[in-house]
Amino acid sequence: MRTNFRNALAVFVLLTSCLAGQLRAEAKQPAKMKASAVEVKMIPSDEVTLPPEFQVSLYENLIEQLRKRAVFPRVYRDGDRDAGDDADLITLECTVVKFKKGNETLREVTTIAGATSMTLRCEFTDKDGNSLLVRDITGKVRFFGGNLKATYDFAKKAAKVAEENFSSGTAAS
Amino acid sequence: MISRINALVIAVTLCFCGPLLQIGHAQQAQTETQAVQVIGLAGLRENTKGTLTVVNGTLRFVYAKGKTDVAAASIEDVVTGKDSQRVIGGTFGTVASLAAPYGSGSALPFLRKKVDTLTIQYRDPAGGLHGAIFTMPRGKADPIKKELVAQGAHTSVPILADYIKTLTDSPEEKR
Repeated sequence: MRTNFRNALAVFVLLTSCLAGQLRAEAKQPAKMKASAVEVKMIPSDEVTLPPEFQVSLYENLIEQLRKRAVFPRVYRDGDRDAGDDADLITLECTVVKFKKGNETLREVTTIAGATSMTLRCEFTDKDGNSLLVRDITGKVRFFGGNLKATYDFAKKAAKVAEENFSSGTAAS
Repeated sequence: MISRINALVIAVTLCFCGPLLQIGHAQQAQTETQAVQVIGLAGLRENTKGTLTVVNGTLRFVYAKGKTDVAAASIEDVVTGKDSQRVIGGTFGTVASLAAPYGSGSALPFLRKKVDTLTIQYRDPAGGLHGAIFTMPRGKADPIKKELVAQGAHTSVPILADYIKTLTDSPEEKR
């Protein structure tokens, strides 16, 4: 009888702690913002000089990764006239904060030097220009691959951030 | 007197060389080069190999399964650059550099060849901005850029010849 009571108590405590943990985790996660379309702006090369091939590679990889993750049903390119039709369109603008072009040969030979890294400030804004989310995201290539692989790394991380913070649907007022 | 003769010689030489230069320009208009589309062209996988050419006001990339055209007039920026790439690249190169005995694989990264890069930014009919990057053998990107600009493409970096011309012209203007 006593053993049964102890077992029941242990199960109860275990379940309670599990449930509490889950509830706490849910409470920590902010509610996802809703948007059905995103317009990706071309990465400018103003304050920090970015080689044109990196600029284009960042932009194209970003569009590709956002489409792959399917966070937003529609992903528009910079200047696309169709973007204006979407009521809950958000805009993604990334500006280069830090850029270091590495050396592929040095990277492969030494394995510790020659890494390419870049940090971009990504800002999601709504149609009225209000900032919804700002994040600094870093892309790196440390060992294998060309320098442009850092742009792929950045785009993957940026798409993940979008997935964590946005969901498709009609925008909440 | 000597200077007059010199001027005459130069003038005659230019008269003879002029048509030759035009022929050279005409040949450039048919520039065709092997290229790799690194990223950007719609419907193409990364690192697709093909042939790049400028025909009738369009930049044409012909690959194994078809071709893609970009109108020169829609190109907002065309920029060339220089880079290098591994001679033995891809998975094979990586595995070989790791598996080669006595650390000899570390020499593989040094086996590199110089390549030119051609980066373009263009608009689609809906106004959407696209970017594409090509790599090609050294010395092949500048003629393609020249042709594109001649056929209506824009560039943020002036062609070297134009740049030199502006440099040489400027002192005369000052006089």
